[in-house]
Amino acid sequence: MRRLLPVVTALAAGLARALAIVAVAFFLCRVMPGDVVDVLGLEGGLTDAQQAELRAALGLDRPVIAQFVDWGAQALGGDFGRSVRFDRPVAEMLVHAAPVTLELALGSFGVGIGLAFGLAIAATSLRSRVLDAVIDALNVWSIAVPTFCAGVVGIIVFSLWLGWLPVIGSLVLPILIIGLDNAGQIVKLVREDLAEAVMLPHVRTARAKGLSPWRIALVHVLPVAAPIALVLSGLVLSGLVAGTLTMEILFGLPGIGSLMLNAVHGRDLPVVLAAVTVVAVALVAINTLVDALHRLIDPRVTR
Amino acid sequence: MSPAGTMASGGGRRMAPGTAAALVVVGAIVLGAVAAPWLTDLSPLDQDLGGLNRGPSAEHLLGTDVLGRDILARLLWGARTTLMVGTLGTLLAFALGAGVGLAAIVFGRLTETLWFAVIDLVRALPATLLGVLLIVALGSGMAPVVIALGLSYAPLVALVVRTAHAREAARDYVAAAASFGGGRLHVLVHHILPNLAGTLVTQAAIVLPRCIVTESVLSFLGLGSSPDEPTWGRMIADASRFIEKAPHAILAPIVALVVLTTALSILGGRLRRALDPTRAAVAPAEPSAAILAGEGALS
Repeated sequence: MRRLLPVVTALAAGLARALAIVAVAFFLCRVMPGDVVDVLGLEGGLTDAQQAELRAALGLDRPVIAQFVDWGAQALGGDFGRSVRFDRPVAEMLVHAAPVTLELALGSFGVGIGLAFGLAIAATSLRSRVLDAVIDALNVWSIAVPTFCAGVVGIIVFSLWLGWLPVIGSLVLPILIIGLDNAGQIVKLVREDLAEAVMLPHVRTARAKGLSPWRIALVHVLPVAAPIALVLSGLVLSGLVAGTLTMEILFGLPGIGSLMLNAVHGRDLPVVLAAVTVVAVALVAINTLVDALHRLIDPRVTR
Repeated sequence: MSPAGTMASGGGRRMAPGTAAALVVVGAIVLGAVAAPWLTDLSPLDQDLGGLNRGPSAEHLLGTDVLGRDILARLLWGARTTLMVGTLGTLLAFALGAGVGLAAIVFGRLTETLWFAVIDLVRALPATLLGVLLIVALGSGMAPVVIALGLSYAPLVALVVRTAHAREAARDYVAAAASFGGGRLHVLVHHILPNLAGTLVTQAAIVLPRCIVTESVLSFLGLGSSPDEPTWGRMIADASRFIEKAPHAILAPIVALVVLTTALSILGGRLRRALDPTRAAVAPAEPSAAILAGEGALS
C-alpha cells in the first residue's frame, strides 16, 4: 500500500492535468476573432441573418461555459460533433486518420528506441571508440538537423536522384527519419547511464565474483538502467508529435496531423479541438503511465 | 599541453577550430540579417517574371524560386525574422521561466506551488500543439509564434532554475546573508542570482537554437508569420511543393538552417563546458535532470 500511494497520486495528477489541458484548448478555440461562420460567410456570401441562424444551429451563440460542458459530455462518449467544413462526424474523421499516425509514431518509436539502446549497449559492452563517435554524431545530427529538413533532403536524394521509392505517401522514409532523430535525442543519455551503471559497486562485486557478462548485464545492470529506459521512452513518445506532424505534411500522409492542420487553415474548429484533445490526452496518459510505473519500479523517485 | 587541455581550462587564448568556425558562421548570419537592406537591393517579395526558377546568375546570386523571387534576398530577410522571433521567444521563455519562476519561489510557498502547477500544465503540451492553439486563438502573425515559443520553453528554463536555486539556497553563504538581515529579495538579487548566472547563460545557449528550429517548424507548417514575411521555414514549405522543378530553392534555406543550428549548438556546448563544469555528474535516479539540462528533445 505504501508503494501504491504515489502511483495513485500520479494517476490522479494525470487526470487533473488532462482535464485542465482540454479546458484550455477549448477556451483558446473559442476566443479567436472570427469563427467558422465568418469564414463560410466570406467564402459563400451568406447574409447576416443566415450567419446568425447558422450560429444558433451550431450553438455558437450560447455562453462559453455551457458550450464547454456540453462538448465535454459528448466528447466523453466519443462524440466530437460534426466538421463544419465537411459535414461529417469528427470522430469518424479521427478514426479514419488515426491508423496512419499510429503506424508512423509506433514505427519510429521502435526504430528510435531500438537504435538508441542497441548502440548504447554495444558501445558499453565493447568499449568501442568508433561506436561512441557514432553516438556523438547521431546526437549532433538530432540537434542540428530538424526532421523536416532531413525529410526534404531524403525526398531529393531517394526519389529524385536515385528514383528508389514512391516517396510521397510511403511510410518508410518518415519512420527512418523520425527514428534516427529520436535515437539521437536519447542515445547519449542511455550511454552515460549505462557507463555509470557498470561502475556501480555491486556490479564490480559481481564481476569480481566471476559472474558471466550476460548474468551481470541481466541481473545486475538492467534493474538499475530500467527506470531511465522508461523515462526516456516516455520522452521519445511525447517528442513524436512534432516529428509526425511535419512528416505527414511533407510526405502527404493523411494522418491526424494533416487533419488538424487543414482544419486550422480552414477554421474548422470542431476538428482542431478534437485533434488537439486526442493528441494531448494521449500524451498526458502516456506520461502519467510512465510516471506511475517509474514510481512503482524505482523507489528512489518518491524517496 | 594538449589542445583539449587548453580548452578545458576555459580562458585559453587559442580557440578550437570548431568554435572559431561556429563563431564566424553565427556572426556572418547575424550580420547578414542586420545588414539585409544594404547587402541586396532586391526585394524578397518582388517577382522577376522574366526569370522564374533560375539557377545562380550574376543578377540572382543564388537563383530564383518558382515565383521568380530572389533566393538570396529571401534568405537574408528571412534570417531577420527567424533570428528575431527565435530571440524574442527565448527572452519570453526566460522572463516566464526564470523571472516569474524566481519571483514566485521567493514570494512564498503558495505562489511557488501555483506557478509551477501552471508550468507543469504547459509542459504537457508540445510546442506544435501550443502553436496550433495560439494561432487559432490569436490569428496568424509573429506574436502568437513568439508566445508559443516562450511558453513551450519556459518550463525547461523554470525547472532548471528551480533546481539551481534550491541548490544555492541550501548553501552557507545564503544563510549568512540572511542572518545579516538581508531580505529574501535582497539575498536573491545580490547573492543567489550571481551564482545562477552560469546556469542561465548555459540554458539560453540551449534554448535559442531550439526556438529557432521550432519557429522554422511552425512556419513550415504554415502556422508562422504571414506570407509576405519570408522566414526560412516558410521558404522550405513554399519550395517543398516544387522539389522536382526547383531543388536549389529548397536546399538553400535548409543548408542555412542546418548550418546555423549546428554552429549555435557547438557554441552552446562550449559555453556549457566552460561555465557549468558540475553538470556532467547526473545521478542515474534522475535522468530528468539530464534531460532538463538540455540533452534531450528538439524538434
